Amino acid sequence: MSDQADREQNEGIKAVESGAGDTGATGTGTGTGTGTDPARRAFLRSTGASAFGAMLGMTIPFQRNLPAGLIPVALAQDTGQAMMAEKDGLIVLGDRPLNAETPAHLLDDDITPYEHMFIRMNGLVPQNALDSDASGWMLTIDGEVDNPLELSIDDLKSRFETVTRAMVLECGGNGRAFFNPGASGNQWTTGAVGCPEWTGVRLADVLAEAGVRDSAVYTAHYGNDVHLSGDPEKEVISRGVPIDKAMQEDALIAWAMNGADIPALHGFPLRLVIPGYPGSVSQKYLNRITIRDQEHDGAKMTGYSYRLPAYPVAPGTEVPESDMVVMTEMPVKSLVTFPRTGTEVATGEAAEIRGHAWAGNGDVAAMHVSTDFGQTWQEATLEPPPNRFAWQRWRAEVTLPEAGYYEVWARATDANGVSQPATTPGWNPRGYGNNMQHRIALIAV
Amino acid sequence: MRGIAKIALLAGLGLAAGLMPVLAQSRPDPMRMSAMPGAAPSPDDPMQALRTPDPGEGDGPAASEEFGGLPDAPGAEDTYYQCVACHSTEIIKQQRITDARWDDLWQWMVEEQGMYEPDAETKQVILTYLKTHFSSEL
Ligand code: HEC
Repeated sequence: MSDQADREQNEGIKAVESGAGDTGATGTGTGTGTGTDPARRAFLRSTGASAFGAMLGMTIPFQRNLPAGLIPVALAQDTGQAMMAEKDGLIVLGDRPLNAETPAHLLDDDITPYEHMFIRMNGLVPQNALDSDASGWMLTIDGEVDNPLELSIDDLKSRFETVTRAMVLECGGNGRAFFNPGASGNQWTTGAVGCPEWTGVRLADVLAEAGVRDSAVYTAHYGNDVHLSGDPEKEVISRGVPIDKAMQEDALIAWAMNGADIPALHGFPLRLVIPGYPGSVSQKYLNRITIRDQEHDGAKMTGYSYRLPAYPVAPGTEVPESDMVVMTEMPVKSLVTFPRTGTEVATGEAAEIRGHAWAGNGDVAAMHVSTDFGQTWQEATLEPPPNRFAWQRWRAEVTLPEAGYYEVWARATDANGVSQPATTPGWNPRGYGNNMQHRIALIAV
Repeated sequence: MRGIAKIALLAGLGLAAGLMPVLAQSRPDPMRMSAMPGAAPSPDDPMQALRTPDPGEGDGPAASEEFGGLPDAPGAEDTYYQCVACHSTEIIKQQRITDARWDDLWQWMVEEQGMYEPDAETKQVILTYLKTHFSSEL
C-alpha cells in the first residue's frame, strides 16, 4: 500500500474519532467523495462499512473516499498482498482475495519453487500465518472415530512416520478461462498448478490411530482462514473427500513445502495435500478433520461449488442445483514448459520441447506432441514420476520443415487410455475440469 | 445481457422481443460455436484465441477510477458500494457469464456469504449493470 493511501486511511479513521463522520461532513481532502446524503450514509453503514467496521471496531464514514479496491490499513495485510514481492512472474487475477497463476514457461522445474507456486486464496491469510507463529497449534481429529485425537505439530512429527513427496496441486478451476459461454470464478488459464515437494505424515496413518469407524463416509476439513467479510463466525471453505480416498496412502498432513515451513500463502503451519482431487480439498491452515457418516456439507461443498452436472449438458445450460454432483478425480493433463510460447527456432533443425504431465487417477501412460494442429502426432519420451501423483517430465524433439508459424500441441494419456481433448470438454456452470491440450507457438526462421 | 445490442439486433431484423426464448432454445450446434469470433488472437500465444470471447470487447465504457475500474456507466456506483465490502472489483471484472448465472451468484452472495440485500430498486440497478457489462450473452 502506498504512503498516499496510508495517509488517506488514517485521515478517514481519525475523522471517525473526532466525531466528524456522524455530522455528515465530507472532506478528508482526498477528492473522490460526493456530498453525503443521509440515505447514502445509512446504505454504507449497512453494507461495506459494517464489514470493515466489524474488524476495526468502528464505522468508517469516509469509506467512499477510499481509492478503488483499497481497504483499511488494519485489514490490508490480511490479503497476503505484501508477500507477492516474494513471488516471481505470476499473473495476479485478483488482489482481495489474492489469486495468481503462473505462466507455463515458469513451471519448467521438476519441483515447483515457492516463487512460482500459484496462489488460490478463498479468504484472508490468518494473522498467525502472517506472523509465522505456530505456537500452540493443535490438530483435532474427531467425528466417526473411536479415539478422537488432539495433536500438536510435535506429536505429528514424533508419533508418525515422516514422509516427503512431490505432489501436484491443481485448482479445480484451472482452465476455466476457455469455457464458452464463460463460467463464473477466477479466469485461470493454464497456471493454477504446481508440483512442490511436501513433507508431513500420511493422513491414513493418523486416521488409523484415531480408529475410523465403519460408519465413516466422508471427511470434513477445517482451517482458521478469515472470511472476506472479516466476520469471524463465517466459514471460508470447508471441503472433504470420500473416506476411501482419505485412507489411500498418498495423502499427507504436511508442515513443510520444499524443505521449509509451509509459507503463509500456502497454509502455514499445517495443510492437507490430497493429490488427484481439486486443490480445494487440500485444506490450508488445517486445524480439524471431522469424520462424517455422510457427504460433507461445509462451505463450498454445496450448490455449484466444485460440482459438475450429473449428466452431459449443452454449453450454457442452467442445471438445477439438485443435479450437481461433487467433483472428485481431476482429469489427465500436461503443459509445455519449454520453450516459452512465441520462441523462434531454426528451420530444419531439431529443437527440444519439454514439459510435465500428470493425472488425477495416478500416473500418466503416454505423451504425444503435434506440430501440425493435431493432424499427426509423435510420441514424446516420458519419465516415470519420483512417486505417485508427482508430475512426470516429458521431452520431444521437433523439426520444423520450412520457415513460418507453427503450434506445438501437447497431449497426455492416462493409464486407462483416456487422452486430453483438443477443445474444452464438458461445459459446466462453474468451469471445472478443463483439461484441453496446451498449445504454444513456435516460429521457424 | 448486452441490452442495447440485443434490442438493436432484434429491431434490425424486424422481430418481436418474443423471439428471445426461441433463440435460447435453438438447436445446439458446436460448429456454429466454433464459427463465432473468439477472443482476440495473439501470434505469440495460441491459447489466447481460445479464451472466452467477450461480446463487448473494446466497445464498452471506459473504466472508472473512482469505482475500482468498473465500466463507467449507470449502476457503477451502486455496484461498487454493494460489492467491495468483501472483495475487490477484480473478481467482478473477470466475469463473462449468462444472466441466469448472475441471478444465481446474487443469491449465493446473499445466502452463503452474508451479503446485505438492498432494496428491490437498487438490486435491479446492480443486476442490470452486471448483466450488461459482464455478460456472455450477445
Ligand atoms: C458479504 C461478502 C460479499 C459481498 C458483499 C459480495 N461478495 Fe462476491 N464473493 C464473496 C465471497 C466470499 C466469494 C468467494 C471468493 C472466492 O472463492 O475467491 C465471492 C465471489 C464472487 C464471485 C466469483 C464467483 C465464483 O463463481 O467463484 C463473483 C463474480 C462475485 N463474488 C461478485 C459479487 C458482486 C457482483 C457483488 C455485489 C453485488 C458481490 N460479489 C458482493 C463475498 C461477497
